[in-house]
Amino acid sequence: MTAATPEPPTAVVGEGLKRRWRPWLRAIHRDVGYLAVGLTIIYAVSGLAINHLDDWDPNFTTYPRERAIAPIAADAPDDAAVEQARAALGLGPPRSTYRAGDELHLEYDDRKLVIYGDTGLVVEQGREARFFLRVANWLHYNRGKKAWTYIADAYAVLLLYLAVSGLFMIKGKKGLRWRGAALLALGAAVPIAYVVWSGGPAAEQRATREASERAAREAGERARPSPPPPATP
Amino acid sequence: MRAPRLPDLERFPELHARWNRRTFIRSAAAGTALVALGGALYRLAGDDLTRQARAETRADGRRRLPPGQRVIRALRDMGGREGPGDARSFRLRVHGAVRTPFELDYAELLRLPQLEQAADVHCVTGWSVLGSVWKGVAVALLAEKAGVRAEARHVIFEAAHGYTTNVALAEATAPAAMVAYRMNGRPFPIQHGAPVRGLVPDLYFWKSAKWLTGIRFVVKDEPGYWEVRGYHNHADPWAEERYG
Repeated sequence: MTAATPEPPTAVVGEGLKRRWRPWLRAIHRDVGYLAVGLTIIYAVSGLAINHLDDWDPNFTTYPRERAIAPIAADAPDDAAVEQARAALGLGPPRSTYRAGDELHLEYDDRKLVIYGDTGLVVEQGREARFFLRVANWLHYNRGKKAWTYIADAYAVLLLYLAVSGLFMIKGKKGLRWRGAALLALGAAVPIAYVVWSGGPAAEQRATREASERAAREAGERARPSPPPPATP
Repeated sequence: MRAPRLPDLERFPELHARWNRRTFIRSAAAGTALVALGGALYRLAGDDLTRQARAETRADGRRRLPPGQRVIRALRDMGGREGPGDARSFRLRVHGAVRTPFELDYAELLRLPQLEQAADVHCVTGWSVLGSVWKGVAVALLAEKAGVRAEARHVIFEAAHGYTTNVALAEATAPAAMVAYRMNGRPFPIQHGAPVRGLVPDLYFWKSAKWLTGIRFVVKDEPGYWEVRGYHNHADPWAEERYG
């Protein structure tokens, strides 16, 4: 019987590492994932909100509200009319006032009131900050700057880690060799296909340049003086 | 030695039985179909206004609802870069091919003879709002006051931040076209063009410029903001002139 030759310690460590790195990767991925949930929700929800700026106001809701007060005499001086309206509505001093015809306009920072003096109808139009979204969008745009820049940078690094570690979390046919590779290729193909299809930033730049050249040409044509009238014989 | 960990679905057979992939996909497909069906039914059931409007005819013989339109109850916010929105700073410049260009503030606009009438409006995106009462001053009256030159053929409605839209003179000065400051007895909300917007009800609604600042009479047509971006130069809803 021969004694087994002991393996060098480095090989044991190497083997252990080879066997254990995936659980470590998963464990870190999981914890980083927990850490990133809050910010991911903020960035994703506000991303959806501000991606559709053309369709809605992601920061404020506007509302109309109507009330009725006693009619305001047409011949009441402007100051008296404003005071009467303010007293009836329990309002503070407005940022500005304006009176035209039967209308009295009171402007505040976040709302505007039009009071129809002849009927006493008050139409208030205002805007209120959307719950959560206003703050989420503020963070997303990094309007506050300062420390948020570093937090956003750190979050981006965490996201990169999640993306890369996610590739290697499991092995086998559901890992990167088969299904993972197919889905990875599909995911990467989407932006590539879009850039190819749309022409990318170069096409956009070209279109903008052509539009401004066309506008300048047309403006030049409009500005060109008309030829002098023919001399009278 | 610890047994290798199995995926959750294999460790819990009852969970596996309930949620294998096929069941999941089937449930998801059924759920989606149900939601789509519910949405379609909701839309069909709630579209009495459209059905009713399709059966009506205008005084000029055209159907009340242009093709491809659906009736909704209130103007929809279609975006755009808002103007200041306050009556105090409002100015309307009437100029171009006219003998007497002039400028009006809000109070002066209200002192002019007023026009109040019901009108239908049709957005190029497919919605229509019918029968709202609009109040303002007829463009024809402003044209008369300015003394439009005989060679003028088009009207350019100018609005905040350089927005323009072009309308043929005859259509811009038609009896229904106006510079409006009230709708259904209320001022316009800022998103709908406060304090004053154009109204050319027989053309798609983008021709009714919000946050109006000027009316310019011109000899040569000048396609406006949307017209140079692929929208139709004329924009007749009954001819479905949506895109150029």
